[in-house]
Amino acid sequence: MATTACFIIVSRNDIPIYEAEVGSAAKREDAAQLHQFILHAALDIVQDIAWTTSAMFLKAIDRFNDLVVSVYVTAGHILSTCG
Amino acid sequence: MDPANTPLGKMLLDEITPVVMVLSTPLVEEASLKNHLSFVQMLSPFCSFNNIDVPVRTASDQPYRLQKFKLRLFSASDIRQPNLEVAKEQLKHFISQAGDKDDMFSDPPQISNLLASSESEIQPSWFQFFNKELVRTVSFSEHEAFDHPVACLLVVSSKDEQPINRFIDLFNTDKLPSLLNDGAMDPKILKHYLLVHDNQDGSPEKAAKILTEMKSTFGSNECQLLCINSSHDGPVEPQDNPWAPYESDVSPSQCVGCFLNIDDSNEIKDLMQDLSSKHIIPYMEQKIRFLNQQVSATRKGFRNQIKNLWWRKGKEDAVDSPDGPMYTFSSIESQIRVLGDYAFMLRDYELALSNYRLISTDYKLDKAWKRYAGVQEMMGLTFFMLDQSRKEAEYCMENAFNTYLKIGSLSQQNATRCGLWWVEMLKTRDQYKEAAVVYFRLCSEEPLHSAVFLEQASYCYLLSKPPMLRKFGFHLVLSGDRYKKCDQIKHAIRTYRSSVSVFEGIMWGHIKDNVHFRIGQWYAILGMDDLAVKHMLEVLACSHQPKTTQELFLRDFLQIVQKTGKTFEVLKLQLPQVNISSLKVVFEDHRTYASPAAATVRESLWQSLEEDIIPPLSNVRTNWLDLQSNSKKYKESNVCVAGEAVKVDIEFKNPLQIPISISGVSLICELSLGSDDASSSTVELQNDDDFKNLITNRDMSSDNVSFTLSEVDVLLGGAETTVVKLTVTPKVEGLLQITGVRWKLSSSVVGFHNFESNHMKKKNAKGRRKSKHSCSDNLKFIVIKSLPKLEGFIDSVPEKVYAGDLQRLVLELRNQSEFAVKNLKMKVSHPRFLNIGNQKNLNSEFPACLERKTSSDPCCVGDSSSSLSQNVFLFPEDTLIQEGTPLLWPVWLWAAIPGDINLYITVYYEMADVSRGMRFRTLRMHYNLQVVPSLDLSFQISPSPSRLHEFLVRMDVVNKTSSESLQVHQLSSVGGQWEISLLQPVDTIFPSQSLMAGQSLSCFFMLKSCRKSLTSEDKISTLSPVLGSDVGLGPEDSNQPLFDVSSSPLADFHHYERLHQEMSHQGDPNAVDFILISRPLTSGDSERPHLFSHHACHCRQYFKRKPNIVASGWASDTIS
Repeated sequence: MATTACFIIVSRNDIPIYEAEVGSAAKREDAAQLHQFILHAALDIVQDIAWTTSAMFLKAIDRFNDLVVSVYVTAGHILSTCG
Repeated sequence: MDPANTPLGKMLLDEITPVVMVLSTPLVEEASLKNHLSFVQMLSPFCSFNNIDVPVRTASDQPYRLQKFKLRLFSASDIRQPNLEVAKEQLKHFISQAGDKDDMFSDPPQISNLLASSESEIQPSWFQFFNKELVRTVSFSEHEAFDHPVACLLVVSSKDEQPINRFIDLFNTDKLPSLLNDGAMDPKILKHYLLVHDNQDGSPEKAAKILTEMKSTFGSNECQLLCINSSHDGPVEPQDNPWAPYESDVSPSQCVGCFLNIDDSNEIKDLMQDLSSKHIIPYMEQKIRFLNQQVSATRKGFRNQIKNLWWRKGKEDAVDSPDGPMYTFSSIESQIRVLGDYAFMLRDYELALSNYRLISTDYKLDKAWKRYAGVQEMMGLTFFMLDQSRKEAEYCMENAFNTYLKIGSLSQQNATRCGLWWVEMLKTRDQYKEAAVVYFRLCSEEPLHSAVFLEQASYCYLLSKPPMLRKFGFHLVLSGDRYKKCDQIKHAIRTYRSSVSVFEGIMWGHIKDNVHFRIGQWYAILGMDDLAVKHMLEVLACSHQPKTTQELFLRDFLQIVQKTGKTFEVLKLQLPQVNISSLKVVFEDHRTYASPAAATVRESLWQSLEEDIIPPLSNVRTNWLDLQSNSKKYKESNVCVAGEAVKVDIEFKNPLQIPISISGVSLICELSLGSDDASSSTVELQNDDDFKNLITNRDMSSDNVSFTLSEVDVLLGGAETTVVKLTVTPKVEGLLQITGVRWKLSSSVVGFHNFESNHMKKKNAKGRRKSKHSCSDNLKFIVIKSLPKLEGFIDSVPEKVYAGDLQRLVLELRNQSEFAVKNLKMKVSHPRFLNIGNQKNLNSEFPACLERKTSSDPCCVGDSSSSLSQNVFLFPEDTLIQEGTPLLWPVWLWAAIPGDINLYITVYYEMADVSRGMRFRTLRMHYNLQVVPSLDLSFQISPSPSRLHEFLVRMDVVNKTSSESLQVHQLSSVGGQWEISLLQPVDTIFPSQSLMAGQSLSCFFMLKSCRKSLTSEDKISTLSPVLGSDVGLGPEDSNQPLFDVSSSPLADFHHYERLHQEMSHQGDPNAVDFILISRPLTSGDSERPHLFSHHACHCRQYFKRKPNIVASGWASDTIS
């Protein structure tokens, strides 16, 4: 069902640099804010995990109902988050 | 840590304890109700023992001692599954009550405070009660034995008739709980007979008699007498009232337990202790041993196991119903469960665990999922109490939880209880993160319960190490949404407010907007409009939101504001945004500006222009400052004049995509009267509060007329930026400070913006009073007494002229004040373009005044040349500009070269009255003209082949205009040493008389030198007119007068032109200057008469070795 997705690039100090709503599903009115909430909350998990693994791509580290969060952490700690 | 001392352990020791069913007669209840207590309530406080010290021997032969013990007393009518709907209703009521207690006005907790405090401080205290009540909604289920009564307490009053029969009747009624009647548990339970005697009814002798009778009927051990209400002195308040928890059920005037004295309490205590240690515990021991034997006989051992497996397998096609097969109390499965639960309650956890394990596989094979889940749950708890194998404990809990959920909605409550115990287990082990996840899983269709669980989950995230603040905030928001769904607005606000501190300062726009907008909306629902507006303000400048959302935010905000009917005053209102860096202040001290355009010109440009005409700056300063005050402070302030407006330009930006209307934009100013106490009364604006106070004070004394402010209304379109021009006009002397700007949004909200609070803070931090570049300096003014101020303009300066166009314009200087000004001086940045004329020119007709007169006025010539030398024009000394009598002065404009020309003019004047505080002022004027090319002129001079002092001049003229036809009028040589004449008559070479656009003309002249020799007086004579130096090119019959090129202003302009075109050949006697005068053909008489003059200077003869090089016009043309 995951036909909706949100792509966000987050800088080191948690500032979203780039934001895009992708996906074919009809947009829910509050999709943007729900995605922001989910991805923002997922940063807590990323913060924990990023230092415990050498992998840069952290697949499905967090989920909210049927939305799954995957993160790509760059060397400079800029996050590309996908929900 | 001893598991029994953990919160979960305590909870279990409290909740999983033997149940005693109480059956009492109405008279017993009557006696106890004198104390406003039911009989169960009266006994309950004495059912919990911390140090009972009873030896217990269960399955093993080794006895152990039980210290803590508790009985749960329930009257028979309460032993049934609670009604779910009623329970939900009660919980809802309870939550609403808890919400009402919240303080909605206090500041929300800061995240740093939250992190520093412990769990119990952070969480609302009612959570525990809520959880407990939820757990209790599933009590007395038939699949769990620990809620099944272990014993029955039959109570009869001494007043009852035939008490023995009553005892028998009590147990035989149909009112017994269904658990006993439908075979879920053994109806043959331990019975205890209690006779209650009310001492107020008389002496207990009769009761003693009944007791003896009872003993003979039921056995001596099972019967007891309890005397109550022994207090003879009427109602007394017992100290350390054990019944205090029940007080809330009755009205405060009635005292709970008022007739029970200390003897009664002791008697009850002894009774309960006796009941526990001598009857219930031994009974349970006995039963455990009996059941254990049974289980061993049927289930233990290899043979039994094989048999059991075989037998179970045969049942594989059993119905897959959620409850599984029905097990009666006599079935071995139920007995194992009872054994396990009894062992658990007597804290023989090993025994309990082994039996749970045994029964668990049976239930699984039987697909009795609810029972299976119940056993798994108990296994998890037993593991926990044994403090071993944490993994297994959690696995069991999860298994139980999932199984309950799998069964369906009927077991939702069981799942909830299991989840709550699981959460407590995780919390005990500091696994807060996992606990939060479990709380999240507890969310069901019941939104109110979900809300509470989500809120608890959020606190788990907060308490996890390291704290997961973002998750904390997110779950608070989720919880708040659910609270809102259930109309628990106060709770919703509480959760959202707590999340504000988490989301403070983050750049995730949607999150912030959502939080503030919702809080604002909800406060508005509660009618707390001030707070609503406060939060709504946060979301107004939401440029990242789509247009519809922006509209929604703004509309809701304005609705709330309008509902209040108040005018809100908001500091730093974000709508529109004020661009402080765009702040531009234009004020006039001794420098005044004729037009706004003049004010935008660089100050250095003016300064270089005024260098010659104003006294040195230092002198000026001391002069007028001495008159004021020597305070150092003033030196740093600007000066403005009372009655003259200080102009402030500030940029307003609409961040939204929807238009907003702004009205009444004006400055906020402060004018402290009197210069002496100015320093003390000046308010240092330390913070925004002060600023706000200042604003309100200002509003109150709005009749204060020490200054006037302009008001501007603006309609800002979507994403539009507008520069708003504001003015303040001080009316009295003093110290004026511009502190900020105010405006009204959609005529309901007043916004303020302080210009300098940031600067102030910065400065304070640095510990310096003032920094030189601070913007606040620009906003502080010393207002001095009103001064005369000249207003000046040059009448009808054309925007676009042709090159060479000569026009007479009029400079008008007005003085609005009653004080006269004198000593006027004037300087022009480009004298080549603009020349100051003679007063006499003013009324004479143009261009006729330029025509050659029979006798020229040498004075005029001399006058202009003297003023030219200094570049500064001095108005006649007796010039005095008074109020109402403007000074008109002619000026000559001549467009020298094509291009975009900026003309700067400055007029210096002094006050006639020196005591006015400022001695002089300057008026700065600025004009811009666009000059387009007209005639292109070039001369070629070659020596005459026949005569020595004669030269042949060829003039080439090209009309470069786009449409203008020009009529060539006159060619003059300047200098008087040359005589010029046409080679051919004009008509032959130039029949049409006019030069069309683009047309060119060549014309030959004879130039004859009339100079005798080069003498020193040559220069003097250069400007004196000589007959024959001009030649008319107009039609011969028209006989038009020729113009005098040797008089002002043509001579003046020529002078500058000469200077400009001058190169290395200065003073070369062989050079000749020509002036070609033409007139536009089309210019009708209705327009201003035009005259074009083109100047070619330093034209020289070509030597033969360099032939055919054209001296091209009036540009750099001297070629030799």
